[in-house]
Amino acid sequence: MSGRHVHGGPECVALFAKLSEYLDGELDPAACAGVDGHMADCERCREFLESLRRAVTHVASMEAPELPENFKRDILSAYVRAKGSS
Amino acid sequence: MDGSSEDADLLSRIRADAPGAFDEFVARFGGRLYAFGMKFCGEREDAKDVLQDTLLTAYRSMGGLEHAEAMTSWLYRVAANACLMKRRKGRFEPDREISLDELLPGPGEDARVQIPDPAALPHDDAVREETRMRVRKAIGDLPPAYRIVLVMRDMEQLSTQEVADALSLEISAVKMRLHRARLMVRKTLEESYAADGRGKGRV
Repeated sequence: MSGRHVHGGPECVALFAKLSEYLDGELDPAACAGVDGHMADCERCREFLESLRRAVTHVASMEAPELPENFKRDILSAYVRAKGSS
Repeated sequence: MDGSSEDADLLSRIRADAPGAFDEFVARFGGRLYAFGMKFCGEREDAKDVLQDTLLTAYRSMGGLEHAEAMTSWLYRVAANACLMKRRKGRFEPDREISLDELLPGPGEDARVQIPDPAALPHDDAVREETRMRVRKAIGDLPPAYRIVLVMRDMEQLSTQEVADALSLEISAVKMRLHRARLMVRKTLEESYAADGRGKGRV
């Protein structure tokens, strides 16, 4: 941190609202450069962004189990029953 | 869900209610829709109910689709509705939007990142399973209207436009809820690891 910037001011709060778009590469170049510049000067925001990035990566890497065969059979049976009663 | 010509063929078989069309429909989409239900509900039986409701409802209404390209977004729309109904929140609107102020780091929050770096997790099954449990809980704690957006964008990798179409939301609302959902997950995970004191699993 350069010492010129004190974390928690309006600049940090305004940046806080843009962090997902920044991570997703959805900010226009000028806004993106603004975030980059702020990050270079504000260690707390940098740490915050890193924690958000890690959280998003953990979520994205979660796996779901495969569909159990017996569930599939139950659903096919439910379809046959529903069709028979209609 | 790629294979647009396969989808077009399947859609015409569904329209005709051809023999075996439902089985084919389940084989084509069942796995992905079950995974989606598991990510949102977190429970096998709930995910199974969501899958069954989705497949039966979508199969009956699928004939009305004009283009096979619309199948995926239609299925996600039906599945998202089934998820929200399952949690007895039969609407896409939250009671109120959560403000950004509520998600700012508190003055007492340790500035250092507590969440372990996913790229540097040790190859230890116990640590990885413990991490998954924390993440699963953080996702499960989200209000349903936010969780559904997070699951669709960050776990199913749908585009913002696809989520907006499936949930009948404006693009800006999808972005806003995604951002808040991520901030809530971050906050829950930070607090969870900070509460350990030892920074268990921290890298």
